[in-house]
Amino acid sequence: MELTTKAYKQTAKKAIADPILQSALAGLQSRLGPATASLYENLPEGPDLRAKAHAYRRKAVDNLDIMLVTLAGKIRENGGEVHFAATAKDAVDICLDIAEKNNVKHVVKGKSMVTEEIGLNRALMDKGIEVNETDLGEYIIQLAGEKPSHIVAPAVHKTRKEVGELFTEKLGTPYTDDPPTLTRDARQALRKKFMAADMGISGCNLACAETGHITTVSNEGNIRMATTLPRVHVAFMGMERIAANLEEHQAILRLMSMGAAAQQIGGYVSYIGGPAAVDHADGPQAFHLVIVDNGRSRILADEEFREMLCCIRCGACLNVCPVYGKIGGHSYGSAYTGPVGAVVTPLLGGINEASHLCQGESLCGACRVACPLNLNLPRMLLALRAKLSEGDPRWNVKPKSRPEKMLFQVWSRINQNRKVYDILLKLGRLIQKIMPSSNHMIRRLPWPFSGWTQSRDMKPLAGKTFMELWKEHQGGRS
Amino acid sequence: MMYKKKKVTLFIQCLVDTLYPEVAEAMVSVLEDLGLELDCPTEQTCCGQPAFNAGHQSEARSAAKKFIELFEDAEVIVSPSGSCVNMVKNHYPDLFSADSSMLERARAVAAKTFEFTEFLVDILKVENLDARFPAKVTYHDSCHLNHCLGIHLQPRKLLANIRELEFIEMKDSDKCCGFGGTFAVKYADISSAMLEEKVQNIVDSGATVVTGCDMSCLMNIQGMLSRTKAQVKVMHIAQLLSAK
Amino acid sequence: MDPEKQFINTIKTALGRPGNQPPADLFTTSPSQEEKTLLEKIRTRTHQERVPLIEQLRQTVPSLHMDLHLEAGIEEAARAIGRLILEKEPEWGTSKSVVCWDHPLINQLKLSEVAELGQIPIHNTGYDGTDPQRKKEIRSQVEASFIGITSADYCIAATATLAMKTRPGHARSVSLVPSIHVAVVREEQLLADLRELYTLLKWDEAERKEGLTRNLTLISGPSKTADIELVMVHGAHGPRELHLFIIAAD
Repeated sequence: MELTTKAYKQTAKKAIADPILQSALAGLQSRLGPATASLYENLPEGPDLRAKAHAYRRKAVDNLDIMLVTLAGKIRENGGEVHFAATAKDAVDICLDIAEKNNVKHVVKGKSMVTEEIGLNRALMDKGIEVNETDLGEYIIQLAGEKPSHIVAPAVHKTRKEVGELFTEKLGTPYTDDPPTLTRDARQALRKKFMAADMGISGCNLACAETGHITTVSNEGNIRMATTLPRVHVAFMGMERIAANLEEHQAILRLMSMGAAAQQIGGYVSYIGGPAAVDHADGPQAFHLVIVDNGRSRILADEEFREMLCCIRCGACLNVCPVYGKIGGHSYGSAYTGPVGAVVTPLLGGINEASHLCQGESLCGACRVACPLNLNLPRMLLALRAKLSEGDPRWNVKPKSRPEKMLFQVWSRINQNRKVYDILLKLGRLIQKIMPSSNHMIRRLPWPFSGWTQSRDMKPLAGKTFMELWKEHQGGRS
Repeated sequence: MMYKKKKVTLFIQCLVDTLYPEVAEAMVSVLEDLGLELDCPTEQTCCGQPAFNAGHQSEARSAAKKFIELFEDAEVIVSPSGSCVNMVKNHYPDLFSADSSMLERARAVAAKTFEFTEFLVDILKVENLDARFPAKVTYHDSCHLNHCLGIHLQPRKLLANIRELEFIEMKDSDKCCGFGGTFAVKYADISSAMLEEKVQNIVDSGATVVTGCDMSCLMNIQGMLSRTKAQVKVMHIAQLLSAK
Repeated sequence: MDPEKQFINTIKTALGRPGNQPPADLFTTSPSQEEKTLLEKIRTRTHQERVPLIEQLRQTVPSLHMDLHLEAGIEEAARAIGRLILEKEPEWGTSKSVVCWDHPLINQLKLSEVAELGQIPIHNTGYDGTDPQRKKEIRSQVEASFIGITSADYCIAATATLAMKTRPGHARSVSLVPSIHVAVVREEQLLADLRELYTLLKWDEAERKEGLTRNLTLISGPSKTADIELVMVHGAHGPRELHLFIIAAD
């Protein structure tokens, strides 16, 4: 995974200053956030379903070995092939090998986070294979040479005008900024690609171990196209994306649809269990499932973070996160954006490398409330921060920011002793007299508090603490 | 009313203690008017939340230990700050997960700690304090209060019973103000952008007073209201409830 | 060690096996009392009890941009579909052709005998698995057709969802590639909600025996996207229109 989180603050600053992006993000959040919340309130099974679904996911993750062996067995019985990839490179190589053996020249892809994670497109193109993303948002991003900025709405940062100019330049279509016309232009261009493709690549939203199927969900129908028309279908799944049995699977799938797009169920849901049978009129002749670890087993082994493997990447947390709502997806520097990215990117790509992602949130807890499975993302962010504070050899984490740690160590000493604390407060009252101030508010603070007064004033220390007043008050009373 | 007979021990957020003592005084006045006996360990300092949120667990742990030692004999602990109550209730037990005897003590303290409006409405079953405050008021839902403690309706019930107070819901009252402890300083641009939206929603509501149950958020909000010279006052809910 | 064994062993180590034993309810083997009751309810549902389901469906379809047609019988349905074929214009090119599943209910429509359709070719996707050339022909007929006509295993009232298992003769592309998808089901195939569907798929004896097949597809409405400025557009890659025909019980 390519990490560019060092640029977190800078990219964020640019995003904040971009009024078009700000209005797109506000529009996205105001539409999807409340709509999803209202679906949760009206679940036919009652609100407990979310807690139950969390437990279902946890059960599957806790028994992942049995889940995967069962799934693989069933798929093989149905004529499919199953591959296990320990690393991103293994996964890419498996796909390249399948492409070579099947003489593949043209690939169409359904939206898949894990293939973004392993950098599959680049590798296929390096082999001279044409790769077309087919989800409209992903297609726009691919034509523009950009990265997705939202898990479900990857091109949310692009305006209709930009898309219009892009299509004119890349597809040669007459300029328009009308979304239905632009959609039809892409439909026409991609229809040819679907018909000509030798291989379709998809992700897997959630597999079902007991029945032996992967599931793909889309509203556009592009994933059905990519998994029905080409000769070969290769599906990639993060190894944790599985449910044990059908009743648990459907509960999670429905919650996922609510979290992703405020729907009761996605427009097209396909359960795929193998290639087409010989007497089937259509469907791929070969079906390959590539199950990817790429750092997930390390998360699995750590009780503190195992919960993260229950995530189904619906993107609901992005639609309520006040930080995502300001900085947009590109600031997160990886395919996984928003609160989910802030936890999963450090775990997959390195905690030190992605330290800004661990620390750049306000811990408001909106993500936890919005998550269809109530995953406790703030807890995991705090656990990541603890690793950065003290270091952890198991995760190869070195302690970050000595000066900050020392500051807190000093603070801790002071905090232990009210007498010292009071002396410091007296000193503070003296110092604040020389701070620039107006209207009884301090206008500028020195390091390490200077960030505060960048955009706001600071209330000065009161003449007496409440503790002093209390003592006086008690004295007066007795 | 069982709790009426208990002595209430005051857990005063450090920001209230040092910057806004009048908020604690207002809370004292409300509780005293209800005939409650009060106590306040004057050795108390910070509960450790800033250290905990920044990841410095050992420093947070020593603050927690001090707090537990100071407060464990209390009958009931009441605080005017949602995030500090969340720290004690939800995170102290996390900090001592590896130390069973401390864990038990942390849980015992957590079980008897309440946020001020939660204590009034849910425990004392008091919703009308016979207060009078003639102004247009809007309420900011602090995140830890709302998302972590589920305290949302209690303050609104109390505000509804203040005479001559016109309550106005602002847009997205439950959206984070951008404080987030050290986040506001370390990621000032992001924090400021979030705060700007909050302040805009407050100003747009037409209220002349913004209130809440946590001075951390209110301090943040006050900072930008002051910087932008907006004519909106910041007051803790205790100050409104003690006004006659 | 082969990569698969190594992969699973890594997981076993992470999970702390063998000390950590799997729970007994990992895979369910018998329906709960509640599920048994639901199965019985579905089996014994009467025409009268389906009236509210149709009403529910009627309320659901507009938000999904679907068209609902209630027909008294097969002949009426055939005439209505015939009119649709005549009225609608093809999206690509000018010539009209239609492709249908080789399915008892669809065959009963006898569309090729509807006189008004005249020269419009009505293809079907019957295939016995022996002639690869025939498969190519089916593919090109599907690509050329502007309307695809399928049935479905079930139709769910609450979410207007069509559930289709893959079987010979039922080409998947018929509900996907043509610009207009026409689905014809009998009233008896209506279910109330997704819970009923999944309970049947899981516990009904015949369903259980057949399994989900190689490809089970759930379709709720025509293809749509909101990827450009969140503006909803129908017909992203799949059908732009979905016409659902329900044939009343005799």
